[in-house]
Amino acid sequence: MFELSPPAAEHIMSKLDQDTISNRILAALPAPEFSLIAAHLVRIDLQLGESLHRAGETISQVYFPEIGFISVLSVLSDGQPLEIGLVGAEGVAGVSVILGATTSYSETMCQTGGAAHRIPVAAFKQVVEQAPYLRDLLLRYVHVFHVQVAQTAACNAHHELGQRLARWLLAAHDRSGVPELSLTQDLIAVMLGVRRSTVSVAAGQLQKAGIIRYQHGRITIVDRVGLENAACECYQAVADEYRHMLGVDPAVIKAGELRRP
Amino acid sequence: MARNSKAIDPPANRLLGLLAPRDYASLRSHLEPVPLEYRKSLYQADKKIEFVYFIESGVGSLVNTMVNGQAAEVGTIGNEGLVGVPLVLGDERAPTSVYIQVPGAGLRMRAAHFKAELKRSPAMQAVMLRYVHALFNQVAQSAACNHFHALEQRCCRWLLMTRDRMQSDEFLLTQEFLAMMLGVQRPGVSIAAGGLQRAGLITYKRGHVTILDGRGLEQRSCECYQVSKKEFDRLLGD
Repeated sequence: MFELSPPAAEHIMSKLDQDTISNRILAALPAPEFSLIAAHLVRIDLQLGESLHRAGETISQVYFPEIGFISVLSVLSDGQPLEIGLVGAEGVAGVSVILGATTSYSETMCQTGGAAHRIPVAAFKQVVEQAPYLRDLLLRYVHVFHVQVAQTAACNAHHELGQRLARWLLAAHDRSGVPELSLTQDLIAVMLGVRRSTVSVAAGQLQKAGIIRYQHGRITIVDRVGLENAACECYQAVADEYRHMLGVDPAVIKAGELRRP
Repeated sequence: MARNSKAIDPPANRLLGLLAPRDYASLRSHLEPVPLEYRKSLYQADKKIEFVYFIESGVGSLVNTMVNGQAAEVGTIGNEGLVGVPLVLGDERAPTSVYIQVPGAGLRMRAAHFKAELKRSPAMQAVMLRYVHALFNQVAQSAACNHFHALEQRCCRWLLMTRDRMQSDEFLLTQEFLAMMLGVQRPGVSIAAGGLQRAGLITYKRGHVTILDGRGLEQRSCECYQVSKKEFDRLLGD
């Protein structure tokens, strides 16, 4: 009910030290632009399975993930979902509002517990008008996100499930920042648009090769390089585009390349 | 098919039609008509974009080429769009290649002029960003459609989309392109197109498509045709 008025004083982020921000877009902003947006940011927890934007509904908030990642899904009218992209601390969910969208085409859903900074759309648009650096960075992010989606579409059509699973785990690993992922096989099956039983087979092969360990719904990446070798080219293609657009100039992204613990 | 377009009002390209008269007039001085022949490359992946194109008729295809040479179609652009989206988002280099798959005609201008025009007019930039969004939605819808829907449904969808862009029930469409759009081998296309011919919905001879029964095609198409069409119509303000 307070959405339209400024958030309560104790939640205002203006006192927040920009150096403690993990989200790379927020972290990369020049100080004056950061203070502009920080005045509207509210830090929230993300719950596993929480839906942030629903297909066809008005986008009311934009999210800058700090911890964990968000899955972007294309949903067909019979309810059949297919993941088209991931958003983690490198990005923004709900960014299509800067393209003039008011409703969400896709569904965005938290795949892990985590945290994000949230800002109401009206305030976000106002800030973007006054922050040319942020606007530029967001458009670049839109570009790399679109590249990710296009690559995913091509990958789904042409690559084998084992390669796709490896690619997906790498992308999830990059965005979550921890080697251990809490993910059920059911969930992965939905993300990849396949049956659970086929995910079991593919995950079993990666486990046998000593690349991942899968126990009680937790996947631990044991051999990151092995996982990169098991993935199709699509992982690298998308990672290269992120570096090209968001990471080449260290002034653009302070944190530099994607974090790899 | 290579109608000699001279960028006279009203623009055949729907995106140009959305621009304020002043913005359109300003763009026109840079636009030159070009024929869009089958297989013409408008730009190449990883290369600098030299020209942007506003397609007036025909269809361009965004293609991701895999390391093994396999080409995957990720989206199409017709008279509703712009070939040059990366420039709107701040990249001068193309992430995917764009080839003409259904021949037609269009207008082109130098990338540098286009960027200067965008910078000059926030209103023009807003129109282009709306298109970026619509194109993105098309790519996202196709991703799910290609994955879940039956070949014949998808084939109907692409035929209808091409008809809308050509504004004609007759057009040229090679089996090779249809196969790439549908993500199948050519024999798969023959089977799907054969079924539609036998049902009296189309004729398809030597790459020449004639749609005999558009309503019948719509009934056999998946929802994705209507979803994408509505989305473009809404975003492009029809």
